[in-house]
Amino acid sequence: MPQLQDSHWTVWLICCFLSVVHIHAQNDLTVPQEVTLTTNMLMQQISLSWLGSSVTTFDVMILRPELNETVFYDTHLTVNKTNGRYEWNWTSAEPLECTSLSVQIRSREGTATSDWSNAQILQGNDLPTNAKFQFYPQDRVVLAGSSTTFCCIVAEGLRFGSIHYGDVAQNATRLSRRSYSVTVTDQPTSIIWGTNVLCQDIENSGMAGAVIFVGYPPLLSDFKCETYDLVSAVCQWNRRDTRLHGKRRTRFSLNNRKCAETSLMEIKSCNSELWEGNWTLEAVNPLGQYSVFDSADIRHRVRPVPPSNLSAVVNAWNATLLWTWEYGSYDSLALACQVDLSNQGNGTKRTFTGAGLRSVQLLELHPDEDYNVKVRCGAQQNFWKWGNWSEPLSIKTNIDVPDPPDVWMHINDDNTGQIIWKPLTARQSHGQITSYEVTVWSPEENLQHTETLTPDSFTLSVNLTQMSAFTSDNQIMATVIAKNAAGGSLPTSVIIPLRVEDKTPIVETRVNYTDRGFHLIWQDETNSSCGYVIEWHNALCQRDCSVEWVKLPIGSTNASISSANFQPGVRYNISLFSCSSELLHRWYGYTQELAPSRTIPHLSISQQGSDILLTWGVMPEVSRRGYIVGYNVYLSNDSQLVQLANILGEDSRKYTVKGLSEGTYKFTVKAYTSAGEDTGATTSITVQLLADWLILEILASLGATALLLAIVTFLCYKKRKWVKTAFYPDIPQPKLNDDWSRTRGLLDVSASPHNPVHVVEKPEMDSFKEVLVVIPEEDEEEEDQMIGDEPADTDEPSSLRYYNRMVDERPIRPRYPDSSDSSVSSMDSGQTDVTYTGIQTSASSLVFQTDRQLSSEVEMAANGGGYRPQRQAMSSSDASRPMDLQSSPEPQAACSGGYKPQTSWHSDSPGEAEERDRPAPCLGSPTSVASTQFLLPDGESDEHGEEKRPLSASAAGWFSNLLSSAKP
Amino acid sequence: MADRRIGLTGPPEQGRTTAARAVAIAELLHLESSNLLELYRKRESFIANVISGDSRLVSVPPPSSQLETRDKLWCLQTALLHCRGLLERAIAKEDEELGSQMGEYETLRKMVKERLLSLVNTIGELIKAVDSPAMVTPTLNDSLEPDNLTVFEMKLWVFRVFTEVDYWAKTAVTVLQALPKERVRISRLRSTRSSRR
Repeated sequence: MPQLQDSHWTVWLICCFLSVVHIHAQNDLTVPQEVTLTTNMLMQQISLSWLGSSVTTFDVMILRPELNETVFYDTHLTVNKTNGRYEWNWTSAEPLECTSLSVQIRSREGTATSDWSNAQILQGNDLPTNAKFQFYPQDRVVLAGSSTTFCCIVAEGLRFGSIHYGDVAQNATRLSRRSYSVTVTDQPTSIIWGTNVLCQDIENSGMAGAVIFVGYPPLLSDFKCETYDLVSAVCQWNRRDTRLHGKRRTRFSLNNRKCAETSLMEIKSCNSELWEGNWTLEAVNPLGQYSVFDSADIRHRVRPVPPSNLSAVVNAWNATLLWTWEYGSYDSLALACQVDLSNQGNGTKRTFTGAGLRSVQLLELHPDEDYNVKVRCGAQQNFWKWGNWSEPLSIKTNIDVPDPPDVWMHINDDNTGQIIWKPLTARQSHGQITSYEVTVWSPEENLQHTETLTPDSFTLSVNLTQMSAFTSDNQIMATVIAKNAAGGSLPTSVIIPLRVEDKTPIVETRVNYTDRGFHLIWQDETNSSCGYVIEWHNALCQRDCSVEWVKLPIGSTNASISSANFQPGVRYNISLFSCSSELLHRWYGYTQELAPSRTIPHLSISQQGSDILLTWGVMPEVSRRGYIVGYNVYLSNDSQLVQLANILGEDSRKYTVKGLSEGTYKFTVKAYTSAGEDTGATTSITVQLLADWLILEILASLGATALLLAIVTFLCYKKRKWVKTAFYPDIPQPKLNDDWSRTRGLLDVSASPHNPVHVVEKPEMDSFKEVLVVIPEEDEEEEDQMIGDEPADTDEPSSLRYYNRMVDERPIRPRYPDSSDSSVSSMDSGQTDVTYTGIQTSASSLVFQTDRQLSSEVEMAANGGGYRPQRQAMSSSDASRPMDLQSSPEPQAACSGGYKPQTSWHSDSPGEAEERDRPAPCLGSPTSVASTQFLLPDGESDEHGEEKRPLSASAAGWFSNLLSSAKP
Repeated sequence: MADRRIGLTGPPEQGRTTAARAVAIAELLHLESSNLLELYRKRESFIANVISGDSRLVSVPPPSSQLETRDKLWCLQTALLHCRGLLERAIAKEDEELGSQMGEYETLRKMVKERLLSLVNTIGELIKAVDSPAMVTPTLNDSLEPDNLTVFEMKLWVFRVFTEVDYWAKTAVTVLQALPKERVRISRLRSTRSSRR
């Protein structure tokens, strides 16, 4: 038990010891003493200093006490002692005026820390005692691209609204009750008056702001010093734009001497009264400084000042330029001077050298011309730089006699001509031209005539015919002298041939225009011992043309002619003359072809048969504007042009349009050059087919038909036997028990009470056109109906069936029930049922052929012939009513109309065979005849049917006659 | 005394011509100062009410209708002279602080300054035309220019100067335009009193 108590006490003592040790250890880390807080408001920096033990590690905590926000808290800060005090600096992101800060510090050793020191309070400007609207920082100058934090302290009683950086609203952070901050990053350079940062309350009733200047530190280049007077130095440099101006501009010092500023603008040069040999230029602005250096011997940096008092002594062709120097030290200085001579926009530089140069002579000037002269100089030895140009001097050279004029002549077709010369340019006239003197003279005979012309005259007309009358010479000379105030020029002469009509015409050659002009090539003429003249003018010009020319030296064989007066679309005649004015060659050409300026003239159109002939005239020269390549012929069709032809060749001026049908046609013809077509001439015509031509065609058709018929007739005539056999075989004689041949005229058929012929009328035929029609069995009902409408037919006793084919073998039934009795009775009594098949021959033929025959046959029949021909009443009156054959058969027989069987029979039908197989019928009894032979209608029927088939009918009649004539 | 105050030393036509010229100059000045104020306001992104209401820089009271013509002109000239002094100082201050370039703003600023001087001189001629003893030109108070201004405060002050110039240019137009009618009345009064004598 006592042992247990001892151990308990031991543990308790240990604990107490440990606790005492711990307390002691804590008490060893002393709290920082005599903490002082100093600030640098511009740098926004806080400096803390304190006294403490030997520990070097501290914890620092900075708070915004108003909102109790931690601004900075860091542990294990190692701080060294300076002068026995610990010192630690901290830079605030916000200006220190923005709000109050509380700073505390404690010592640390490992994990052990002392207590916090007393809070050091840095009072902000947002205290209630400072109720104004405030903004910080003010007038800050920062580097471009950096960040700046601004704070706004809203006036008491107002509520924060916004902060704008320039025109851009920024997101604000609240620092305290009245203080708000914004941070602007990557700031761009500001303009000359800085960038405004504005803070406003929510009601825009108050504001505060600041101006910030964003720029660059100075940066210099090309720093060089030079001397003008060989004593002092002027140093110059280039610099970048720092974007800082006014009070924030860069200031310069040379060798630690402040450079004088003549204005608030930044300077670029600085003077030193003596040449020091070594220079240091230092540039400083709020964002930094920059230094540059230069070192040189004065002899290598001489840059003369500009010459002064520039003057000149001027002649016609030269001038002497004089000047003075500002410094006498230049007298012995070897100088190189450059004279800039500009005349009529052209400048040249001439360089002269010499010690202390004060004058130079300018040669190769031109008379009566204005020159601008200026001079600059540099050191001839150890040249450094040209000095500045002197003030320019204007001089004008004196006048001189003019240059000889360029003279030529041009002879018109009417033997007149003109002496022409080119106006002298200002450079050639050497002064104002006062007159031209033209002398025409004969070299052989001592004759001359002089005329003085005004300065604006450049031609003199001459009459070669008149001149020829005064001299026997073949040529005369013309001499031109230009005069000005200084005198007359040297004379220029030209030979004028007097008898040009004796010359043989020269062949013209076409020449093309290239980029360099008309390129002309010729062979050197041996007699042209003084060169050539090439002359050209508008080809349309006939008299006193505006002629241009160029003179070429001896031996020339080619030239390229170009002129500013050349115009496109104008044809030029170019002539090559010898210097003795003999025409050697002639060309023509266009500088540029254009489309013709007008349409072709005299476009005419005419119809020739079914063709259309277009003709047109020659395009006038003035309108061609190029070589006419050809013509395009178009057919105008609904405002569209369809090209019909492209006619090549200028002289092909007609075109025939073929194969046009009737109608109206409009044609457009366009001439074209290589540049295009003209606008086109249009003409139109209405094509009509000629009546004569139609008649001609009809006659040709008829002739061809007649020829064909003649051939057929001829063939038929030649083969008439065959035709007769084939189409008109002999009818075999009936075989009778008696000798019919001998009792022919006594046959009596009148005993038959009925006409055995069954006549059928075609219902749709006109009543006066009674023809035989085919009655197909299938149409029986219809026929019944139709016939039923004609009660007259009910009395028809017999039925004549006419087929142009093989006859139906079926028995013919009675048509009308109400008349069947009579029909049957009639049939039974004596009906002759005749059915014809085969070719129906035109009745007219038979009419002609058998009118007499028929009557005789009828007579014969009436007198007891072999059979009775079927007849049909043909009179119109009769046709309108039903034929009563039974009551009046004779008129039928008497009438020549109707049908009759052919006289020869051809048993080619089975029916007929059957008939033949039967016992020979009695003529007095009803007889049924079936025939396949032609049934030839009578003439009257043909006449009635002529309207429908006149040709076939006539042809058939003709054919029937032919056959008849072929009968043996 | 009243006669002497309102009497004219020169012919009435000359006075009317000078008054008309003064009106024309004042109108031009008003136009140019308005343009300058607007240009500056846009350049500095200032809102219209950036100046608090109690901040008149020129302490001369505006000419009231009860004042005689001479007094009106004197007040006007005094205010304009004050404006001119302010403007010159503003320009110098601005150039010193920010530097100077020759842009549209600087040209317009110079134009207003010269026009203001021209108007002051013309009004001086009008005052001379009034039959009255010579007025003493007021000495300008140097304390008008605040010291130790930040750049932003300087800009606000320049804006106030421009505003003041614009205000007095407008006032000058109003006063000078009303002047011819009064002169007619004055001339009639003088002729009436002369006839009574």
